[in-house]
Amino acid sequence: MACFEHASPALKEILLRLYRGERAIDTDHHLHEFGSVEYYIQSLVSDPDHTYLSISTPILSQAFLISTRLSRYTIEKVKAISAEVVEIVEPPKEGYQLTLQLNFARMPRGKESIKTITDIAAVQGVILSSQLEEMLMNVNSQDVAQGMYKPIKLVYHPREPFYIIKQPQKITAVFPMRFKEKTDVIIATTFFQELMDVANSKACAKAPHCIWSPIPPPELRGEAIEDLSTNGGFVSFDITSRHIEGKRLDKTVWNLLNFYAFVKNHVKSTRGFIQRRMRTCLKSLVEVLQKTGFQDDQQIKEVKGYKRMKKLVNFTKFMILSYRSDFTSKLKRIRSRLKIHGFNRFRRKWLTFPNFSSKTKYRKLEKDISLQHN
Amino acid sequence: MANSLRLYLTCIRNTLEAAMCLQNFPCQEVERHNKPEVELKTSPELLLNPVTICRNEAEKCLIETSINSLRISLKVKQSDELENILTKKFLRFLSMRAEAFQVLRRKPVQGYDISFLITNYHCEDMQKQKLIDFIVQFMEDIDKEISELKLSVNTRGRLVATEFLKQFI
Repeated sequence: MACFEHASPALKEILLRLYRGERAIDTDHHLHEFGSVEYYIQSLVSDPDHTYLSISTPILSQAFLISTRLSRYTIEKVKAISAEVVEIVEPPKEGYQLTLQLNFARMPRGKESIKTITDIAAVQGVILSSQLEEMLMNVNSQDVAQGMYKPIKLVYHPREPFYIIKQPQKITAVFPMRFKEKTDVIIATTFFQELMDVANSKACAKAPHCIWSPIPPPELRGEAIEDLSTNGGFVSFDITSRHIEGKRLDKTVWNLLNFYAFVKNHVKSTRGFIQRRMRTCLKSLVEVLQKTGFQDDQQIKEVKGYKRMKKLVNFTKFMILSYRSDFTSKLKRIRSRLKIHGFNRFRRKWLTFPNFSSKTKYRKLEKDISLQHN
Repeated sequence: MANSLRLYLTCIRNTLEAAMCLQNFPCQEVERHNKPEVELKTSPELLLNPVTICRNEAEKCLIETSINSLRISLKVKQSDELENILTKKFLRFLSMRAEAFQVLRRKPVQGYDISFLITNYHCEDMQKQKLIDFIVQFMEDIDKEISELKLSVNTRGRLVATEFLKQFI
């Protein structure tokens, strides 16, 4: 399971759109999730009240479930989502394990409708959980009586199988851990050691006992070598009867199915955390280096020179306004002309430049000459 | 700060103060070229004896000096796998951003985790004493940061483990 939420976000979004009737057109949606889960949603304009949802999901354990059809227990669980809205179509659409007919006309109004759609979108989780629940409840009691604790291999993702071993007092879930990078292995190993410590502490005394070991546990003896070759070791949880009582069964099953996703999410977020810390440290180190320059001292001296600025900052508004009015009156006085009697005539005569004739231009003298003749 | 670390850093500081008397010196092999002699090592008369300062087997510092350049290489302690991976990641992260530091070498000297190259031009642009302070502080910060990172990763792991196991209760 690569998603911590029970409901598939994409499926929920599509179902909500169809319920709200945003587009009155025929719709066919094909959705693929986590590489192995497939949804097919069909809605017709001719039949607006009904929407068909078909699901194909991998069978958790081929050895345990003989037929590819879903068990009765699983069908009951699916029906329990909403008896009014959800109806199972028999036989299911070809290529799918389950087809549901959703009657939106019977959907409860208000917030209840969103809750129901969320529950419908979680149908794949319900199928997967119910399969594991069924296994935990109905595992071969004969084998247990004979002392044969054969591990059941559960595969909901080809690269992430895990084992369930039923013993008289407990059920052991063993997770072989594999990671792509060495960094991931080390972060995960640190986490597993902490997990072991916490599980053995008093605070989590009621939690399942947890063991991490780099070598496969003895219960897995005889399993295929490729399944037992890991780089992250093996994590085992001992599930006792108190962990599968009543409502706890759902939680336990969901936690076991999500363990891989949980570890991977922790590794990913820890890597992000390390990256963030490194960035912060880089900044502080660069700041230290920038202070080594000669220019810094000069800058400080220059800044110290602006003493008047500090005074200005301390001025009141009245003082600033009065200073401004004084300044403008001074400016006006400077710009105003001095009036001296006869100065204009003096300036015209002595302070103006005489007009020189340009070398490139010429003056027509004919008119002047004719005037002189007259 | 631990006493042994203080002594180690003081020794490095004193050695750097003695070694960092760099001057402009053109290359003797190629005309109109000016290269860090500590890197090229073309003329043995321009090189001083390298100094290695060790705190322990896992933690040491190599100071190589020449007439116009100085190379400082550091080996940071890595006591376990987590510290090893954190140190490698962190120093690689810094080396990838060497342009921000000016004096940081992109590739460390063989056998060391990180190297600095200081030339006479750096000494002209920056204050010698502050440059030495930076190197010493860098060493202190790296040690501190890696210890803190290790502690944080363990604490995060513990918190996440507690949250996971609480769901069963």
